[in-house]
Amino acid sequence: MTDSVAIHLRPRTLWISRAQRRGTAGILAVLLLWQISVWIIDLPPYFYPAPRDVLAAFGELIRNGILIEYLADSSWRYAVSVGTGLSLGIIFGLLIGLSGFWSRLLGSIIRFFYAIVEVAWIPLLVIWIGYGFPTILIAISYVVFFPVLYNTLTGVQTIQPVLINAVRTLGASRFQVLTSVILPAALPNIMTGLRVGAGFAFRGLIFAEMIAAGSGLGFLIFDGASTRQTDRVVVGMIMMGLLWLLMDRLLLRPIERATIERWGLVRAQGGES
Amino acid sequence: MNTAALTGGTPKISIRDMTLVHVNEERRQSNVAVENLTLDIMENEFLCVVGPSGCGKSTLLSAIAGFMQPQTGTVTMNGERITKPGADRGVVFQEYALLPWKTVLDNVALGLKFRGVPRADREAKAMEYIAMARLTEAAKKYPHELSGGMRQRAAVARTLANTPEIMMMDEPFAAVDAQTRLSLQEELLRVWNDNPITVLFITHSVEEAVFLADRVAVLTPGPGKLREIVEIDIPRNARHWDTITSDPEFIALRDRVMALVRDQNG
Repeated sequence: MTDSVAIHLRPRTLWISRAQRRGTAGILAVLLLWQISVWIIDLPPYFYPAPRDVLAAFGELIRNGILIEYLADSSWRYAVSVGTGLSLGIIFGLLIGLSGFWSRLLGSIIRFFYAIVEVAWIPLLVIWIGYGFPTILIAISYVVFFPVLYNTLTGVQTIQPVLINAVRTLGASRFQVLTSVILPAALPNIMTGLRVGAGFAFRGLIFAEMIAAGSGLGFLIFDGASTRQTDRVVVGMIMMGLLWLLMDRLLLRPIERATIERWGLVRAQGGES
Repeated sequence: MNTAALTGGTPKISIRDMTLVHVNEERRQSNVAVENLTLDIMENEFLCVVGPSGCGKSTLLSAIAGFMQPQTGTVTMNGERITKPGADRGVVFQEYALLPWKTVLDNVALGLKFRGVPRADREAKAMEYIAMARLTEAAKKYPHELSGGMRQRAAVARTLANTPEIMMMDEPFAAVDAQTRLSLQEELLRVWNDNPITVLFITHSVEEAVFLADRVAVLTPGPGKLREIVEIDIPRNARHWDTITSDPEFIALRDRVMALVRDQNG
């Protein structure tokens, strides 16, 4: 985890791609700067932990099972909440996009609530329904709901009418028009909404867990800070980053690749979105 | 020859004193696209409708497809009023309208899927029509991997695989290059000879109309009214581009239809 490792790694990593080599070098540079800053600042570890302290805290949290439990709690809360927000966002996006009645009925109300960030809701939710999963579920799905809704709406509104007419002349029922044209055509936009929402929700989750939970990464960070275990706080932060990277690689990108890119609707892009 | 069957035939589609109005609700404007049109489309005939841009040709198709309702008058198929789109009236659009996320095979099998035909059966039937459209090699490809001409052949296969009672084509070859257009026209006639079906073909090209049609209906510009119907009694076996352009009968009919179209412009 120090500069000597970095120097040592270079000649052996020729088999990985240039981009990966650069990425690894970037991470190592950050670690190096961190370690150097620890030497320069020279403060007690509970105030400014070194990489070594964080590694030790990580080992301890793994051994006593806390980290695994918290990661599982956070992931589970996240998955259920994002799923709920995604489903509701798609349903209301379709309703508003396809029906003038619903659009007029809900358009302004939804724009109004869009402006009220989830953070503003959490204290109120805690008063109403207390600490725990229901509050987190509402707060996170709230965050996911809006970008999914607005992107679904855009997707629905930009569907070529000729595609809908074409399937109608092939005998599609209203429901079949929805499943065969409207949903697949809006899917790239829904994915964009999910991507944005999933990012917001991740931040929201940590915040909600700080306030309204007794476990999870957010709680780990909050609890670590209030007990001066800053090494644990940093473990929590690094886990956040890793969890997001993992989700991006294992979930979001494969879904995008399997749908959008194969349809030739968007060109495969090399960079991060 | 198909024209012979027409005289004693029954109308597949009957249009009576039909007026079609486009209403723009936002701007509170309305625009009469077709006015007091009366026209019969006979069973298994190939009817082309020509006219300058803005004469309501496509609007006429929309009314038969069921996308819009006439303001006055009626449009019926087999004596029954048309109220909404249905699988019995297939449409081939100028912009192909293939679903970009489905392969050629899945696009062609789409109508059968809507009807609940099991996968194996619908794919077997779709492959027949794909072969007829000479797209067997491209069956597993996506529309964006195909040329414009291939896309339109896939769209025709998709419509025919659904065995409609009438196939309507809205300037289907307007978006492909001139060379491809000629071969698509010949292909269409070959397919149509093998699968007799009522065809309504909308075009602004007089040559195309005379080459393809049993009868050519000429519309006047906006609002569209029927100017005249010209019978094209060129034998079906003479409809090849390499010979027909020097056929005096073709030239005479083309000039006559052209005069009818131009007359009302000037």
